[in-house]
Amino acid sequence: MSAPAHSASAAHDHGHDESKFQIYVQIAMLLAVITGVEIVGIYLPFAKWIIVTSLVVLSVVKFMYVIFYFMHLRWDKPFCTIMFFIGLVLACGTTWALLQLFMTPASLPLPV
Amino acid sequence: MSSHAGTIDHHHDPSTSTGIPNKKLLMWTFLASDCMFFGALISTHLIYRLHPMPDAPSPKNIFSIELTSFSTFILLMSSLMMALAVTAIQKGNLKSMRWSILTTIFFGSIFLGCQVYEFQEFVEVKKMTITNSMLGTTFFTLTGTHGTHVAIGVLWLILMYVRSFQPPEAGRNTAWFIRHAVHIAVIIGAILLAIFSTLALVHTLHSGESLGAFFGGHFAMLAGLLACIAAGIFLARPNGPVNFGEANAIDVESMGLYWHFVDIVWIVIFTAVYLLEYL
Amino acid sequence: MEAILKTDLHAKDVHAPVKSAIFWRPTAQTGLISWLTTVDHKKIGFLYGVFALFFFLVGGFEALLIRLQLMYPNGTVLTAQQYNTMFTMHGTTMIFLAIMPLSAAFFNFIMPLQIGARDVAFPRLNAFSLWTFVAGAIIINLGWFMHDGAPDGGWVGYSPLTSKTYAPDHSIDMWVMGLQLLGVASIAASLNFIVTIVNLRAPGMTMMRLPVFTWMTLITAFLIVLSFPFITIALVELMMDRLFGTNFFEVSNGGMPILWQHLFWVFGHPEVYILILPAMGIVSEILPTFSRKPLFGYPIVVFSGASIGFLGFSVWSHHMFTTGMGTMATAAFSLATMAIAVPTGVKIFNWIGTLWGGHISMRTPMMFAMGFVWMFMIGGFSGVMHSAAPADAQQQDSYFVIAHFHYVLIGGSLFALLAGIHYWFPLMFGRKVSEFWGKLSFWVIFAGFNITFFPMHFLGLNGMPRRNFTYESNLGWNSANFIATIGALILGVGIVIYFAVMVYTFLKGEKVGKDVWDARTLEWSLPNPPPEYNYRVIPTVHARDAYWYNKQHKAEIAREEAENAKAEAAHGGIHMPHQSIYPFVASLGLFIAAIGIAVVDHDPSPGFWGKKIGLSMIGGVVMLAGIYFWALEGNEGYHLHLEDEGHAATDKNAAKH
Repeated sequence: MSAPAHSASAAHDHGHDESKFQIYVQIAMLLAVITGVEIVGIYLPFAKWIIVTSLVVLSVVKFMYVIFYFMHLRWDKPFCTIMFFIGLVLACGTTWALLQLFMTPASLPLPV
Repeated sequence: MSSHAGTIDHHHDPSTSTGIPNKKLLMWTFLASDCMFFGALISTHLIYRLHPMPDAPSPKNIFSIELTSFSTFILLMSSLMMALAVTAIQKGNLKSMRWSILTTIFFGSIFLGCQVYEFQEFVEVKKMTITNSMLGTTFFTLTGTHGTHVAIGVLWLILMYVRSFQPPEAGRNTAWFIRHAVHIAVIIGAILLAIFSTLALVHTLHSGESLGAFFGGHFAMLAGLLACIAAGIFLARPNGPVNFGEANAIDVESMGLYWHFVDIVWIVIFTAVYLLEYL
Repeated sequence: MEAILKTDLHAKDVHAPVKSAIFWRPTAQTGLISWLTTVDHKKIGFLYGVFALFFFLVGGFEALLIRLQLMYPNGTVLTAQQYNTMFTMHGTTMIFLAIMPLSAAFFNFIMPLQIGARDVAFPRLNAFSLWTFVAGAIIINLGWFMHDGAPDGGWVGYSPLTSKTYAPDHSIDMWVMGLQLLGVASIAASLNFIVTIVNLRAPGMTMMRLPVFTWMTLITAFLIVLSFPFITIALVELMMDRLFGTNFFEVSNGGMPILWQHLFWVFGHPEVYILILPAMGIVSEILPTFSRKPLFGYPIVVFSGASIGFLGFSVWSHHMFTTGMGTMATAAFSLATMAIAVPTGVKIFNWIGTLWGGHISMRTPMMFAMGFVWMFMIGGFSGVMHSAAPADAQQQDSYFVIAHFHYVLIGGSLFALLAGIHYWFPLMFGRKVSEFWGKLSFWVIFAGFNITFFPMHFLGLNGMPRRNFTYESNLGWNSANFIATIGALILGVGIVIYFAVMVYTFLKGEKVGKDVWDARTLEWSLPNPPPEYNYRVIPTVHARDAYWYNKQHKAEIAREEAENAKAEAAHGGIHMPHQSIYPFVASLGLFIAAIGIAVVDHDPSPGFWGKKIGLSMIGGVVMLAGIYFWALEGNEGYHLHLEDEGHAATDKNAAKH
C-alpha cells in the first residue's frame, strides 16, 4: 500500500530489469548445455570417480544458477540466502550422514 | 494499481523489519523445510540403491535417458518462462506475464505428461511396479512426490493466471465467480485432455495403427479438448478493468520461487537417480 | 496519498454487500462462530492452551493407569494389550498434544506481544494451524471409541511393529494420519512465527534486544520447520507400505526396518529440543523478573540456544547406540551428544548467575522456575550419562531412560510451562492465582514428581525394562515400583490442585492491575487482558528489557508515544485483519481426507470410487476449496480508530472503511 517512490532506486531497477531478460535467456541456454554435457558425460570412458565428481559439480553449478538468478537471491537481501541455506546445508549434511551410516559394514543386516 | 507502475521497489518492503516482504520470507523458509523433505526421500532412495536385493532389476534396463533428458530440458525452459513472468509483472506488464505463465503451464504439463508416459511404460512394459521391487517402491515414491509438487505448481499457476482477470472489488459478484470457476475448469480440462490425447496418439503410433483410427477412436476427447481451448480463449478476452498489477508481483514471485524449487529438486533427482545409474 | 486512501475506503464501504454475496465475512464477537473464525493470535493461543490442557489431563490419566498396573508385581489392572495402548498413547499425547501445543499457546499469545506487533504475520494461517492441530489430535484419539482400539506401536512406532502383518487394523493408520496432520499444523505455525519474529518487530527491537522467550520461539520454530519433514516422509513411507503394499520396511523384499529408526530420530531428537527450548525461554523471562536483575549473559544464553538447536540435528543416532552402527558412527554421535551438554550447562550457569545477588522474591512462578532449573539439571546429568555409548548399552530401554526423560520433560518442560501459566495469567485474564494455593500445588507436584521418578533410576540400573506390562515379584523391583506409584498419585493430586485453583482463579480470582510483577518485557506495558489490537500505538524500543527502560524514562516515552500516535492516526488508524472461516474449512477438509485414509475400510468391490477413495477425495476437494476461497477473499482488513486511551472503538461499523 504505502509505496513511496524511491525514484533513484526505481530508475536503477528499471535499467537492470531490461538486462534481466538477456541474463535469463543466457542462463537457460547455459543450463541446457550443462544438461547436455552431463548426458554425454556418462558415456565417456573416464574413471568413474572423475565422472561422478564432474556430475556433482555440474549439478551444483546448475542448482546455484537457478537459485541465484531465477530465484533472485543475487538481488535480494542476504537473509533469504541464509534462510534457504540453513535448510539446504542441513538436508545435505543429514543425507550424507545417513549414506555414511548405511555404507559401513557394521550397519548391514546379517545374511539370513 | 497500474498507475504506480515502476515505483514499487521489489527488493525492499518498507513495512517489514528486514525489508523482505512477508510472503517472500515465508516462501524461502518453506523451501528450506522442503529441502529436508526431499533430503529424506532422496536419502531413502539412495540407501536402498546401496543395498539392492540380489535379484533386483537393473535401472539401466528400465530407465529411458532420452525421455528423461527431454523432460529435464522442458522443466528448465519452464523455469525460464516463470522467471520472465515475474520480471514482466514487476514492470506492470500484465499481458506479457499472462503469456509467460501460460507457457510455463504448457511446459509444466508436458513434463507431467512425460511422467505419466514414463510410469505407464515402466509398469506395463518394463514390469516394474511400486510393489514388486524395492527400486519400484523408492523410484515411484520419489519421482511421484516430485510430480505431485509439479502438479501443485501447475494448479497454482492456473489459479494465478485466472486471478489476473479478477475485476476490482465492486465487480466481484456471483456472475463473476461462476465465470471465474468455469475459466479454471476449462484450463484444467484442456490440460488433462491434451495429455491423454497425446498419450493416446503416441500409443497409436507405437502400435502401428493408422492416424485415422486414432481420430476415430478419440473423437470425443479431441472435440472436448478443442472446446476447452476455445472456451479458454473466449474467457481470456479483455473485459473491463482488472485488479491485478504490479502490487501483485510478490504473489507471482512467491509462486515462481516454488516453481524454481521444483526445478532444482529435479536437477538433483536427474543426477542422483538417473545419471548415476548409467556409470 | 491520504486522499487516495480515503476514496478507496469510501468505495469499499459502498460495495461491501456485493462482496458478501460470495465471501462470508463473519463479524461475530461472541459464540461459537467467533471462535471458529477468529484470527486473533490471543484467542488462538487461548484455544491452543485449552486443548493442550485437556489432552494433558488425558495423558496424565493414562500415566496413572500405567503406574497402577505396575504398583504390585503381576498387576492385573490392565491387560498386556491395554498396557501397550496406554504407553503408546501416553507418550504420543504428552509430546504432541500436551507439551507442544502448550508451548504453541505461549508462542501465540506472548510472542507477538513481546515484539510489539499487532498480530502474527499471517493471521489466517495461524487459525489453520490451530484447527489442523485439533483435527490431528482427534484422529489420534479416535481409536478409543472404535473397535480397532487406540494405537499400540509405541510413540516411536518402530517398524515392523507398525507393519500390516503385526498391526492389521486401523489403529496405526490413525496414529500415522494424526501425526501427519500435527506435522502440517506445526510446520504452518512455525513458518508463521519465523516470519513474524523476523519481520514484525517494533522499531528499535533489534534481534539482540528480543526477549529470550521470543528467541527460543524462533529457534524452536526453525527446529520444527527443519525436522518435521523427516517424520512426514517416514510416515508417508509407512503409510505407503500399509495402504499400497510397498516395500520400504518390508524385510522380505529388501526393506530395512532400521531405516525407520533413522528417519524417526532425525526428527525425534530435534523434537526433544522443540519440547525444552520454549521452557528455557519461559524460565529466562521469569528468573530476571523475580530477581529484579537483567538476565545474566543474554548474548550467551541466546547463542547457547542456537547452538543447541543446530547441534540437535547431529546427535540423533544416540537413541540407537545398541543397534550397531560401527565404531566410527557411534564415536561421532557420542562426542556430538557430549558437546551438546556444553551449551545446556552454560544456560544453567547463566540462570544461576541471574539469581546471584538478585533481590529475589519467591512468588509462585519463581518457585516453578527454580524447580525447573534444579530438576532439569538432574535430567541433564543422566542425559550426559547416556551419551557414553558403553554406558548407554546398559541403560538402553530400561527405567533409567524413563527416569531421565521424565526429569527433563516434567521437571524441565512441564515445570516451566506451569510457571509460565502462573506468570502470564494476570496478563491474559487480569486475575492472579492466590500465593498460598499456588505454592501448595507447587510443593505437592514437586514432591510427587520426585517420589515417582527418582526411584526409577535405581529400577533401571537394576535391570527393569521399559514397556513391559508386568514383572515377577522376585526381581527386587517391588518396593521402588510401589513408591513410584504412590508418587504418581501424589503428583496427580498436585496437578488436580493446580488446575482447580486455575479454574477458580479464572472465574473468581483476585483482580489485578497492569504489570503485577513489575516485569521487564514489553507485553507488560499492555492493559490486562490485552485489547484485540494489542498496542494502541506501536512502541519504540530503546533497550533490551524494553518495558523496564520505559518505566525508568516515563516522560520521554510518553512524548514519543504521542508523536507516534499522531503519525499512525494519519495513516488511517489501526489495521485489523478480517475474521475468516476458510482456514477452518481447509482444516476440515484435511480432517475428512485423513479420516478417509485412516479409518474407512477399503471397499472390497472393484472400481475406483470405493468408499475410502471417495471420502479422501471429498476431503481433498473441501480442503482445496477452503484454501482457494481463503486466497481469493484477500487479506484486507478494516481500520480501528481509537478516540483515547481506554476507549477502544466499540462501534466497528463506523470505523470500518
